[in-house]
Amino acid sequence: MRIVAAKKILKANDQVAAKNRDLLSGAGVCCVNVLGSPGSGKTTFIEALLKHFGGRIRAAVIEGDIAGTIDAERIEALGVPALQINTEGACHLDAPMVAAALRELDLNGVQLLFIENVGNLVCPASFDLGEHLRIVVLSVSEGDDKAVKYPAVFQSAQAVCITKTDLSPYIDFNLSRIMADVRRLNPGASCFQVAALRGEGVPAVAEWLAEHLHTGRSDFGHSGQK
Amino acid sequence: MHELAIAEAVIEQVQRELHRAGQRGRVHRVELSIGRLSGVNCDSLRFAFDLLAPGTIVEGATLHINQPTATCVCRACGKRTPIEELVVSCPACNSEQISIEGGRDLLLQSVDVEGPCESSPPRKF
Ligand SMILES: Nc1nc2c(ncn2[C@@H]2O[C@H](COP(=O)(O)OP(=O)(O)O)[C@@H](O)[C@H]2O)c(=O)[nH]1
Ligand SMILES: [Mg+2]
Ligand SMILES: [Zn+2]
Repeated sequence: MRIVAAKKILKANDQVAAKNRDLLSGAGVCCVNVLGSPGSGKTTFIEALLKHFGGRIRAAVIEGDIAGTIDAERIEALGVPALQINTEGACHLDAPMVAAALRELDLNGVQLLFIENVGNLVCPASFDLGEHLRIVVLSVSEGDDKAVKYPAVFQSAQAVCITKTDLSPYIDFNLSRIMADVRRLNPGASCFQVAALRGEGVPAVAEWLAEHLHTGRSDFGHSGQK
Repeated sequence: MHELAIAEAVIEQVQRELHRAGQRGRVHRVELSIGRLSGVNCDSLRFAFDLLAPGTIVEGATLHINQPTATCVCRACGKRTPIEELVVSCPACNSEQISIEGGRDLLLQSVDVEGPCESSPPRKF
């Protein structure tokens, strides 16, 4: 006999993600999932935002890496609570890993929670973590064809940040091409250009995030798969 | 290799479906729908499924994968064109005023299990 299921394969993950999102919304925390290749500048980007906010917005960070605690140490050096998840080989974070991290993390007073996903433009796209917003970080040195090559991740994000723009003079990166590709894939996405090491372009992203913080505690934009 | 995680989720989902339907028979076919733009590689998924299947309820089952298209929606000519891979302009009129919809879903479509309707009664000679 045939059982017709027609269900999402990652339904179990999505259910845990929905619980994470409810918990975070209930605690008044806006959660941002940051995705990008290894070395694209995710940690530097988060650091730049944290420096920009100073103490004005209370933040915390969950760092996802295959191994090591270097990134969490970088965040803690800024006086921001950080928690490292080691995926032990897995190429993406999933919702149960984040649920476990949320049990460890003191969310009291936290307004903004960044999750730095494992460096990868493919796998993390399919896994809803329970975030409210998803930001894709792409550095100019990775090439302007990446939206076309990795459409799923660009389609799933609320914002795309082109980083390391200070390197543009040395690299053949056609900004208008990638912007056009992103618009075709995801007309609603906000696009930013950032040179995180110099702090350039960071205020615009910070403002965009702050808007999301202030447009309602429990009604943040909803990421994940439609 | 997130195909391994996806294959794992498929097997768990099949388990839940069997349980829900009160079936305990052998699974002989699993049908998936993997969107063309999902970023999931079907060959890797098959490989992962075959790797994980032994010792689980899907041992020996064949994996059938449908790959639904995405849609190119054109604001210039209004056409909606099914596409198998990403395009940068409308296949109908070449306009770049397009957006891409769908093609990202990962679904467990159906499970064929040895059950009441198929198990033939013991033969008598
Ligand atoms: N020139 C330049 N380098 C950057 C920028 N952001 C990050 N980097 C460098 O890129 C490398 C990887 O950055 P990191 O934030 O660790 O990347 P992650 O692996 O995505 O977290 C480091 O050497 C950073 O100093 C930037 O805006 N400009
Ligand atoms: Mg990092
Ligand atoms: Zn057209």
